[in-house]
Amino acid sequence: MNPRKLLRIARWEVQKNAGGLDRRTVAITVAVIVLFGAVSPLIASGGAGLEEDIYRVSVDEDSQYYGVAADDPKFRIVDGGEQALRDGEIELLIDGSAIRIADTRKGSAAFSEFRDSIQAYNNEQLAMESNQTAAFPIQVTVEFREQSAPGRDNGSSTGGETTDGSDGTDGGTTDGSDGSDGDGTDSGTGDGTDGGTSGGTDGGDGTSDGSAVGSATPPLGDDEISGSPADINPPFPFQSLVLAFVFVIPLNFLIQAYGSTMLSERLNRRGELLLVSPVSRLDIIGGKTLPYFAGAIAVEGVIAAALYYIAQGGFGGAISLFAITPIVLLFLSATFLGAMFARSFKELTFITVTITVVLTSYAFVPAIFTDSGPVALISPLTLVVRELQGEALSLSAVAFSTLPPFLTAGLFFGLGSGLYREEDLFDQRSITGKVLDALAVPISRPYHVGIMTIVLIPFVFVSQLLAIALVFPIARGSPEIGQVLILIVVAVVEEFAKSLHIYAAHSHNTFERTRRVAVVLGIASGIGFFLGEKIALLGQLVGLSELDLARQALQGGNVPEGPVVVLFLFAPLALHVVTATISSVGALGKRRRYLAAVAAAIVVHLVYNLTVVNVVA
Amino acid sequence: MIEARELRKEYGGFVAVEGSTFSVDSGEVFGVIGPNGAGKTTTLKMLAGLLDPTSGSAEVAGYDVAETRMRHHLGFLPEESPLYEEMTPISYLSFFADLYDVDGDVAERRIHDTLDDLQLEHRHRQLGDMSKGMKRKVAIARSLINDPEVLIYDEPASGLDPLTTNYIIEFTERLAEEGKTIIFSAHNLFHVESICDRVVIMNEGQIVARGDLDQLQREYGETTYHVYTTVELADSVRENGRYRSVVQSMDAVEEIRASAAEAGGEVIDIRTEESSLEEVFLNVAESGTGGSRYVEGEEPQ
Repeated sequence: MNPRKLLRIARWEVQKNAGGLDRRTVAITVAVIVLFGAVSPLIASGGAGLEEDIYRVSVDEDSQYYGVAADDPKFRIVDGGEQALRDGEIELLIDGSAIRIADTRKGSAAFSEFRDSIQAYNNEQLAMESNQTAAFPIQVTVEFREQSAPGRDNGSSTGGETTDGSDGTDGGTTDGSDGSDGDGTDSGTGDGTDGGTSGGTDGGDGTSDGSAVGSATPPLGDDEISGSPADINPPFPFQSLVLAFVFVIPLNFLIQAYGSTMLSERLNRRGELLLVSPVSRLDIIGGKTLPYFAGAIAVEGVIAAALYYIAQGGFGGAISLFAITPIVLLFLSATFLGAMFARSFKELTFITVTITVVLTSYAFVPAIFTDSGPVALISPLTLVVRELQGEALSLSAVAFSTLPPFLTAGLFFGLGSGLYREEDLFDQRSITGKVLDALAVPISRPYHVGIMTIVLIPFVFVSQLLAIALVFPIARGSPEIGQVLILIVVAVVEEFAKSLHIYAAHSHNTFERTRRVAVVLGIASGIGFFLGEKIALLGQLVGLSELDLARQALQGGNVPEGPVVVLFLFAPLALHVVTATISSVGALGKRRRYLAAVAAAIVVHLVYNLTVVNVVA
Repeated sequence: MIEARELRKEYGGFVAVEGSTFSVDSGEVFGVIGPNGAGKTTTLKMLAGLLDPTSGSAEVAGYDVAETRMRHHLGFLPEESPLYEEMTPISYLSFFADLYDVDGDVAERRIHDTLDDLQLEHRHRQLGDMSKGMKRKVAIARSLINDPEVLIYDEPASGLDPLTTNYIIEFTERLAEEGKTIIFSAHNLFHVESICDRVVIMNEGQIVARGDLDQLQREYGETTYHVYTTVELADSVRENGRYRSVVQSMDAVEEIRASAAEAGGEVIDIRTEESSLEEVFLNVAESGTGGSRYVEGEEPQ
């Protein structure tokens, strides 16, 4: 790769496209970007007020809680009594110092929000005290420590008197009541709510409030590792939604332009003369991609800095930008690969829409569970949310969130660059044919099959993470169905990942079509997958393995202790070799025979996984 | 200057080029002709480094065609050369000059000199607004931007009007006179005949004939004898008071001489007429190679 030529191509790409725009289009584009940039942070910071008046509360004007409800825009004060509470016309009924909660999920959420509002209200009142030492008699120094067992050690995150997050203390202002004394949902408990100290408001379960100490709990610090969507519904994770919108929507526009410029090189053989110039195809791809990558990073950087400034009141957002970078690369790489497959702008449109849906889901769906546990870390957007909330982020969490999409982006660029050559670039073969070409081009020796299987692991990993995030809500309601669903997805994805490139190599006559060769290729692929899937161990670093669902997907179940552990260590190797060999032998034939063989391999894989899960259970 | 050894190119099971071997000397103009689908363009693209041969090898200007350095010594003009229509000729050529590491001042001078030679005006107009002939001239200028020793021109005048075609052929002849080594492919065999020193004829992926024009005519062409006699013979035609018989061999000429003598006359003139390259090409192309172009077991159902 020649950096000078790469930059020259990048400059040319900008000039070429700028030359095709008239002034009016440029002016409109700039106006839209400025408007978007100005409005997005406001929306993200809650300025749009979509949560305004969502909870109805009945409270007398002379109640000590009146000011709390009146000051918080989330609450609307209405008239109502016992009947209104039962009929669901109000969520909270405050009678003196007792708080009555509607027996609905919205009622629980309203109470949770009300507790936060009381805390904020109390802090506000205390901040206005002339004697601040009296208002805040205890100074707490918070120190972050690396967690030895992620997700388990909550108390280590806070110092001083608040070391035990489980006791429900709050902000160090007072040790308040022990969270274990009250369940927090019990209407009218109110123990300690009087006195105007925030500690008293934490008559709840203590666990959630423990994590709220100064908003300083490291990620995954909740005792409730596996959380539940019920914890966050309602209120809806508006911030995650807005972040997905703010960060991901610009990328959707960007990939349209990027996909078009890549495809236009292919149509009418426009890119042929670049290919015959003294530049490598990596120079061409890098040069054409660089302006779009730089543009995306610039836009996302501005958004991240603006959001950080609004959320934290200072300059920052570097972690957010770093977290968004793999998503940017994933969008660009998937579009690049799609543009190599597409034969027309019509097909490209279909591909980019698919990319938009899948990658937006990948970025957004896990981020919904930001407050619910490690499953959220599947999406790099969760890092953004946590940075904006002022939470510390461990290196393992950052690596877990960003490494798979980084590697997958590299894989997509690698496969696409394999097709960036004369005979594929200007060919009008089917998308299936192009996919097979992309997989077959790097393979010329049997061991290449094993390496290609390893290279495909990030894609397998990302697919499985996405599946976990999508199946997670189902699994909460019905663990058995969730488990079977995830095992099916795992088997399908893994068996195709182990065999599709073998089929591609056979379709290109790379190897002799004999059973002996097929077995060798199957063994190579099986071993490659066994070695490569150890990347799934990354999930353990952030505690994702604490989720049953993730454990099934990434590890194939619990590993028992004792002598049988050896069997369980080598059983996956045997499984991968056997199933890859089944598919490999099927790949000797035409497509139907291959698909039939893969189906058989999937069944074997599924039976194995179910057996392991049942035996271990 | 150019060496091709046993070049073979397969697409799936289809053999586009098989066993293509030839060499081109420095300063030579070498023609590659053949019917559509004969493998000419595939051969030229393998020489330009655009296509990787399935087997065999090739060198251009002393470099393996797979080496990027080779491209500094090559100017390639594909049959179709769609340009970046948002650009002007000057910006387009400047961009490629940068890619070929041509110094800025040299590039600027070379761009203007070449466009002057090609009589191209409107140099700051967008390429998309130009005629096909003007675009082709820009494409030719691009192939010369690095002042290469070797030029590979695939149908340089394809689809152009006769005036522009003649201009481009003449321009190519001038390049040959300047000492460029040129591989030239064209369907118009008159053009090939007029500028090429040697020719290979390809058919069904293989080189089926090669040599200079005289060799090809001797080997694959026919000499037609027009024999003029003073007496009328069978199959003769009266022309200006004498009789003309047309035969294809000297033996037949001798038979006519004997017949004329028997009839009391004599042969008074014999004229010969050689086959054109087009007739040679038709003779070769019609014979075919007789083989399958598919790898065994990969024939289409």
